Amino acid sequence: MPSRSRVLLHTVLIAASLVMVAPFVWQLVTSLKSLSEATAVPPTLLPSGRWGNYGRVFDLLPFGAQFGNTVIVALARTAGQVLLCSMAAYAFARLRFPGRKVLFGLFLSVLMVPPQLFIIPQYQIMSALGWLNTLQALIVPGLFSAFGVFLLRQFFLGLPPELEEAARLDGAGPVRIYWSIMLPLARPGLLALAVLVLLWSWNDLFWPLVVNSDPDTMPLSAGLASLQGQFQTDYPVLMAGSLLASVPVIVVFIFLQRQFIQGIAQTGIKG
Amino acid sequence: MRTFMRVGAALLAAGLALSGCSGGDGDDDGEADGNVTLTYAVWDQNQKAAMQELAADFTRTHPTTTIDVQLTPWEGYWTKLKAAATGGAAPDVFWMNGPNFQLYAANGVIAPNAEQADMSVYPKPLVDLYTYEGKNFGLPKDMDTVGVWFNKKLFDAKKVPYPKDGWTWADFQDAAAELTDAKTGVFGVGAPLSSFQEYQYDTIAQAGGFVISPDGKKSGYDDPKTIAGLKFWTDLIANKHSPDLKTMTDTVPLQLFEAGKLAMYWGGSWNVGEFTGNDYTKDKVDVAPLPKGEKQATIIHGVANVVGAKSEHPKQAWEFVKYLGSKPAADILGKKGPIPAYEGTQSDWVKAHPDLNLQTFLDAVDYAVPYPVSKNTAAWNEAELTHLTKAWSGEQPVDRAATDLAKTMNDLLAKE
Amino acid sequence: MTRRRDRITEALWAYAFIAPIALGLGVFYLWPVLQTAYFSFTEWGAFGGHEWSGADNYVRLIHDSEVGRALVNTISYTVLGLVSIPLAVVFAALLNRKMRGAGVYRTLFFLPVVTMPVAVAMVWRWLYNGDYGLINYLLSLAGIDGPNWIADPATALYALVVIGIWSSLGYNLIIFLAGMQAIPAEYYEAAALDGAGPVRQFFRITLPLLSPTAFFVSVISVIGSLQLFDLVFVIAGSGASARANPAYPRLQTVVALFYDRAFVTNERGYAAAIVMVLLLIIAALTLVQFRLQRRWVHYA
Repeated sequence: MPSRSRVLLHTVLIAASLVMVAPFVWQLVTSLKSLSEATAVPPTLLPSGRWGNYGRVFDLLPFGAQFGNTVIVALARTAGQVLLCSMAAYAFARLRFPGRKVLFGLFLSVLMVPPQLFIIPQYQIMSALGWLNTLQALIVPGLFSAFGVFLLRQFFLGLPPELEEAARLDGAGPVRIYWSIMLPLARPGLLALAVLVLLWSWNDLFWPLVVNSDPDTMPLSAGLASLQGQFQTDYPVLMAGSLLASVPVIVVFIFLQRQFIQGIAQTGIKG
Repeated sequence: MRTFMRVGAALLAAGLALSGCSGGDGDDDGEADGNVTLTYAVWDQNQKAAMQELAADFTRTHPTTTIDVQLTPWEGYWTKLKAAATGGAAPDVFWMNGPNFQLYAANGVIAPNAEQADMSVYPKPLVDLYTYEGKNFGLPKDMDTVGVWFNKKLFDAKKVPYPKDGWTWADFQDAAAELTDAKTGVFGVGAPLSSFQEYQYDTIAQAGGFVISPDGKKSGYDDPKTIAGLKFWTDLIANKHSPDLKTMTDTVPLQLFEAGKLAMYWGGSWNVGEFTGNDYTKDKVDVAPLPKGEKQATIIHGVANVVGAKSEHPKQAWEFVKYLGSKPAADILGKKGPIPAYEGTQSDWVKAHPDLNLQTFLDAVDYAVPYPVSKNTAAWNEAELTHLTKAWSGEQPVDRAATDLAKTMNDLLAKE
Repeated sequence: MTRRRDRITEALWAYAFIAPIALGLGVFYLWPVLQTAYFSFTEWGAFGGHEWSGADNYVRLIHDSEVGRALVNTISYTVLGLVSIPLAVVFAALLNRKMRGAGVYRTLFFLPVVTMPVAVAMVWRWLYNGDYGLINYLLSLAGIDGPNWIADPATALYALVVIGIWSSLGYNLIIFLAGMQAIPAEYYEAAALDGAGPVRQFFRITLPLLSPTAFFVSVISVIGSLQLFDLVFVIAGSGASARANPAYPRLQTVVALFYDRAFVTNERGYAAAIVMVLLLIIAALTLVQFRLQRRWVHYA
């Protein structure tokens, strides 16, 4: 490529990257300001380093507990979905049984419905079980996902059948084949599903908002939203809180970038 | 086939284990030995310590009853309470406020007082607030009235005299005009829509209007005097003596006041802690009574302690509520928190900040009017905002928005 | 005989594999859809209990000006948000080459996608602040007096759209990049032999072969945008207090209204009717997209 157009290309990309990153930078800068610095006109560009804002977040929210809740819920949902969805996906992809099409159609129909339609009855169930303001309220409905079944079924369908047939001739039953042949082969697909579930679970707001009004059982998303409700305009503290809440996933993303991107790309191409 | 059965059993076991993890908070009342634990739900973090002190004090005189103070911040308090009440598991004793009271009373979620208590020791508007169909529910805990907080530094800068007792709407409007300075970005006052208790409801009463008729059947928003009470504020915005609604949405008046951008702030007695703690305002503010319109008026509101109708220990719960409404309890409360509702126990609260004219808030009780409520207050509270936002943003004249609101509100009241 | 038994065993195993998730989907997803449909014909008491109310909720819905506004806002947001697609295609094309820093750019574009929407909304609310926001400060350098972006009815919806595009661009870009990388290199080699430059190659090869991906992305983003909630909830709040914002009539979305009715004012029957309408709209718009796809999507 001629060097002039390369310079142009990078200029455009750098400009766009700046737009993508600027909000994060401003978030970080504001989080280190005092309230009067944050509301100074013109704005001070370099903060005075008020790390105390981060401490304030811990005073105002049971941040540690909420962080723990978020991690537990995300891990439980991820583990549950990977296991349950892969089992069903394997059956749909490889086993023959009456009603396969009907069942799969039913599963798919869940995908077509906007999730808000589930919420009132799900809330009723949680309330009837006495599960409001508990972690299992956040976990249990999220263990089941039609999307996960669909995604993994596509993945299993794309795997070569030879190994499986060899194992079958050796007398392996469906459980052995599923567990020791299909699952290892499907690792990229499982990882892709896992990172997506992790991300959605971490960031989900609506459901936690509805079922858990008790700060000690909230995940970070709902906790952060309630922080804004109480301290509407203490922006330095809000920025510190929002940074703390979103950084863990960003770090995970940077380490598992390839899986994240594969996961997203897979949902795109194979969908 | 055999493996199939085995895996099936394993799955079943896993399912049972999963459903078994619900037993998180068993209640250990330990009733066997006659001991009782009451749950007491409150929403204010700042008062939690005082509530625990009261609970401990109660247990000293009632050794078989212990109190479990449960704090849920305001944001989630009503959601949680409503969910619990729906499931028949409301706390034994809990805080109630005016707007929600009738809903809970009418639906049998809270219990009327088990015996006649002496209600004359509380301000009458508060007793009325917690009376439904002639029955008293619970006992008033605290009270708050409204005053004009002002920034002495900004008054001095413009050589405007500090507000005096008996000042009028005209005095207030003049002061707001003189204090406004476009160059420094200072406004006389903020006229927000965010809390009617300190703004609209007060001026409506001062103008001689009303929000809701005493029988709770009819909206007062189409009454010319009520409209005059609203116009008081929209005029301030139109004259640019208050920031416009857009600005106050981005930056709330409290923050503008604490940044020295508002010379006056209509606020409650509950703001004392905020303004004495804030670095900017702590040595600059004082408080004056609300200005007089056709008459002098302030809204009075207060929290009450009520007993859940489904409490398993109604006797002990009522005993606890009685204690919370007593003079000794009020004395403890007055040292730590809001103004106690019990008459004659408020001097500690005033003495806590001798440099501020806090007596203003107590004097206001004499001319205070009750917070307007009905059975479904929340429904028309939403309508108030939906309609009046149009008047505040200048999209509609006030009288038009207010009469539309009256129509909507009357429909809602008819459905109650 | 053994064949038959094998087949029965296989079927039993299949049911066993599917049973847990089928049970979960049935209890938490399929049955709730039917219940919600039923609830939309009921009226709820303040503390639970509901009774049949016929079509009352739907009648109310037709006369409720908030529903109308929420629909207009939601659909406007959805349509305007589609701008993200051509933007993503352009940036994907720019990134679809061997060059230094491609990975870094990709990461930066993707950062907003993995950031918690609550946090995103809080940061943007601060950027948009009329008095102290960074955006208005930058505008003031150019001599422009910026508005109160999210409190001004004239700008509020567009302000939301910008956040939506900013946070979804990376997602769409990744999908397009994958789509581009799936296009066989021979096509470009052949075109280059015919003397087509990069721009012509983009329009002649990349775009048509990318159209199935673009179709998928547009379906996904329409469905997603129609359910907008988090941004509005954080930026404007909910219930009565949200309505103190003069721009709320331009910010309110269908799902935000659903939240208010279902969980703030506890009118769950009415809320159910509102989401039934959302279901209809999503179904209708998806159908329209599938109809239109014949005109512009090329399956190679």
